[in-house]
Amino acid sequence: MRTRTIAIAALSIGCLVMLYFTLHTATGLMAPNKSEPSLLAAADDGGRSLRLVVITQELDTPFWLKFKQGADRSAAANGASLEMWGTYSSDRIEFLKKIEIAIASKVDGIIVQGLDTPEFTNLTKIKAAGSGIPIITVANDVPMQESLRRTYVGSDHREAGRLIARQLVRQMGASGKVVLMTSDEEEDYQSQRLGGILQVLKPYPGIETINVTSGDSRDAIVKAVDNILNNRPDAKAFIAVSAAHAGIIIQQIERRSRVEPYYIYSFDDNPETMTLLKQNKLDALITQSPERMGELSVELMVDWLSGKTVPLRPDGYFTDIRVLKAEDAE
Amino acid sequence: MNGIQRKIMSLSVIVLFIMVIIWVVLTYYNQKTQEQYNEVLQRYLRMNEITNLSQQSVADLNVYLSQPSATTKSAFNGATARLLNAKAGLSTLRTANNSFTLTNYMHMIESLVEAEQLSVMFQGQNNNELSSARFEEATRIHTYISETTLSLIDQDLKTYDRFYRDIMVQSSMLKRLGIWLLTFLTVTLLLFAYWFSRSITRPIQQLTVAARELARGKFDNRIEIRSNDEISFLARTFDRMRVNINGLISEMQQKAQLELELQESRLLLKESQLRSLQSQINPHFLFNTLDTLSKKAYLDGSEETSDLIASVAGLLRYNLRRLDRSVTLAEELNVVLKYIEIQQARFTDRLTFRQQIDHTLLDVRMPCLTLQPIIENAVIHAVEPLEEGGTIIFRVMKEGDSVRIEVEDSGEGMAPELAKRIVEEQTLEEPAAIGHSTGIGFSNVVRRLRLFTGRDDVIEIVSVVPHGTKISLKIPLAGRREELAEAHDRR
Repeated sequence: MRTRTIAIAALSIGCLVMLYFTLHTATGLMAPNKSEPSLLAAADDGGRSLRLVVITQELDTPFWLKFKQGADRSAAANGASLEMWGTYSSDRIEFLKKIEIAIASKVDGIIVQGLDTPEFTNLTKIKAAGSGIPIITVANDVPMQESLRRTYVGSDHREAGRLIARQLVRQMGASGKVVLMTSDEEEDYQSQRLGGILQVLKPYPGIETINVTSGDSRDAIVKAVDNILNNRPDAKAFIAVSAAHAGIIIQQIERRSRVEPYYIYSFDDNPETMTLLKQNKLDALITQSPERMGELSVELMVDWLSGKTVPLRPDGYFTDIRVLKAEDAE
Repeated sequence: MNGIQRKIMSLSVIVLFIMVIIWVVLTYYNQKTQEQYNEVLQRYLRMNEITNLSQQSVADLNVYLSQPSATTKSAFNGATARLLNAKAGLSTLRTANNSFTLTNYMHMIESLVEAEQLSVMFQGQNNNELSSARFEEATRIHTYISETTLSLIDQDLKTYDRFYRDIMVQSSMLKRLGIWLLTFLTVTLLLFAYWFSRSITRPIQQLTVAARELARGKFDNRIEIRSNDEISFLARTFDRMRVNINGLISEMQQKAQLELELQESRLLLKESQLRSLQSQINPHFLFNTLDTLSKKAYLDGSEETSDLIASVAGLLRYNLRRLDRSVTLAEELNVVLKYIEIQQARFTDRLTFRQQIDHTLLDVRMPCLTLQPIIENAVIHAVEPLEEGGTIIFRVMKEGDSVRIEVEDSGEGMAPELAKRIVEEQTLEEPAAIGHSTGIGFSNVVRRLRLFTGRDDVIEIVSVVPHGTKISLKIPLAGRREELAEAHDRR
C-alpha cells in the first residue's frame, strides 16, 4: 500500500515534469513562427525607383568603400536604389562584362571607374548611348569624345601631379634625379598625373626625370625597381604614380640602404601608404575625397535623369585633393 | 448507459480525443513545413526555368538562323513567348533584398528578346554580319541571365538563411515535442488508467471483503461503498440482504430460546408430576377411602371429622388432577382454604388466617398449585416452629394491569441472601420441601410462574428478621404469553 502510494506520487510528479517540458517545447515551437519572415515581403517601390549601378575595378579597397558610403548616402537621400558592382584586382574582362550586364539590365544610370581602353569606349559609346543609358565616370576619367560619358566626377589628376611635383621641388631642391614609376596599363589618370608632374618639373634644368613603366604584377614591379636602383644608383627621388608601387619601392630600397635619404612620393591614401607615411618612409602623398566623389556622382546622375541639370559640365566636377606630408601624418 | 460502461467509454473517448489532437497538431505543422519547402522549391524552380527558357530561345534562334524556315521561326517565336510569359511571373519572387537584381534580371530578359528579334530582323534584311553580331550579343546576355539566376538563388539563400534555419530548428523541435508528448501521455495515461481501473476494482474488492466477512458469519459490519456505478447498487442490495439475514438469525435465536424455555418448563412439570406421583401410594384408593371415612364419620354424627376428611379429600383430588393446566385464581384460592381448614384442625387457635380478597380478580388464570406451596411454606416456617402460633394474611388486590397476591406471615423472617436466592431460582440446599404436602418446592413455583407469565418480576420477597416475611406474586391480568400458555394447556 505504501509503495503504491509512493509509486503514484512519483508518477504524478513525473507527469507534471513531462507536462512542463511538453509545454516548454510547444511554446518554443510557436515562438519562431511569429518571427517568420514572409517569403514575399516585396519591396513596394521595387522597379519604380531609379536604379543606379557603380562599377569599379577595385572592389572593397578603402578608397571604394569610402566612395560607397558617400554614394549610398546620396542615393538614400534621393530615393534611388544603388548597387556597387565590380571586380577585384583589376580584372578587365570581368569589369567590361559587368558594364555590359548593366546595359543589358537597362539600369537608369551607370557610374563607372574610367578605363581608357577601346573595349570600354566601345561599350560606353555604342551600347550604352544606344540604349540611352547615361554614364558618369568617376575617380579615373576617359576622354569625353571617345566615351560619350556625361561627365567626370573625381580628382583633377593633372593638378594632383602638379601638387606632388611642387612638393618634390620644395623638399629636394632644384636638382636631382627623379624616378617616375608608372604602370604599363596606360591609364588616363596616370598620364594626367605624369603630365602634371612634368609640367612643373620642366622649368628646372637641374632635375632629371626618369620614366619607368612596369606591369601590374608584384614581380614585375620588384624587377623594375631593382633595375632602376642598379642602373641609376644616384636617383634621389621616387614618385609612385600608381599608388600600388609605393610599398614595393620602399621595400626594395630598404633591402639595400636606409630609406630616409630618398624622397619618395605617392598618390592615393590607403592603409599601406598611410602607414609608410607615418613611419616617415614616404615623404608626402596626395589624398583624394572618395566619399565626396560618391555623393556628388550619384547626385549629378539623379539630377541629370530628372532633368534638373542638363547638360552636365563636360570637363567634369573635381573633388578636393591635398598634399599630406609626413610631418602632418604624425 | 450504466456506470462502468460509461467510465470505460469516457476513458476511450479521452484517449481518442488526445490522439486526434496530437495528430491534428503534428499534421498541421508538417503541412506548414511542407508548404514552406514547396514555396522555396518553387522559387528556385522558377528561376531555373528562366535559364532553361532563355537557353531554349537562343538555341531556337540559332536553328532558325542556320535554316530559316516557317517551322524554325515558329519554334523560336514559341520559345520567346514562353520566356516572356515566365518573365511576367517573376515579379512574385520580389523581396526587399533581391528587388534590384530581380529588376535587372527582368530587363535582361527583355534585352535578350530584343537582341534576338533584331538578329531575326537583320537576317530578314540579309544583313548577316549584323545579324550574327546580335546573335552573339544574345548569347552573351543568355550567359548573364544564367549567372544572374545563380546570384538570385544565392541572394535568396542569404535572405532566407535565418528562415531556413528556423525551419530546421522547428522540425527538430517538432521531433522533440513528439518525444516529450509521447512520454507525457504515457505517464498520464498510466496514471489515469490506474485511477480508472481502481475506481472499478476497489468497490469490487470492498465487496469481496464484505462477502468474506458474511461468509465467516459476521453479520454486524455495515457494508458501505462509495461509488457511482453498479457496484454501489450491488453493495446496497448486499447490505439489505445482510440486514435481513441478521433479522432472521436473531428471530431464529429467539425461537430457539423459547423452545429451550418450553423444554425446561416441561421438565419441571415432569418433575412435579413425578413428585406428586411418588407421594401418592394409590391416590384413587386413598381418595375413595377418605370419601368413605367422611361418610362414615357423618353417619356416626361426627360432622366436624367428616368435613375435615372431605377437605383432605378435596385437596387430594386437586392434587391428583393434571398439573399442567392453568387454573383460575378462584380454584387456587379454594384449595388454599381447604388446606388452611386442615391446618386449623391441626393447629387449632395457634394458626390465625386472615384474608383480604378482591373478588373481581378471581378470574385471572395462573399455573396450578402455585399458591398452596407458598401458604404451606408460611405455615411450616411461621406457625409450626412457634409455640404461640402465628398469623398468615392472604391478600388479593389489583395493581396496575396485574393482580398482586400477597402472603404475609408473622414468623421469624428469612435472611436476605435466602430471599435473593429464592427470587433468583437458585436451588435451595434445604432438604427439598420438608413436610410439603404436595412435594412442590418454592423454586419450582417461581420457575413455573415466570415461564407462565413470561416476566421476571413475578415474585418479590420482603422479609425482616424476626418480624416475618411477605411474599408478593404479580400475575398480569392479560397478555400472558399465549404460546407458552397454550403449550401449557395442551398437557
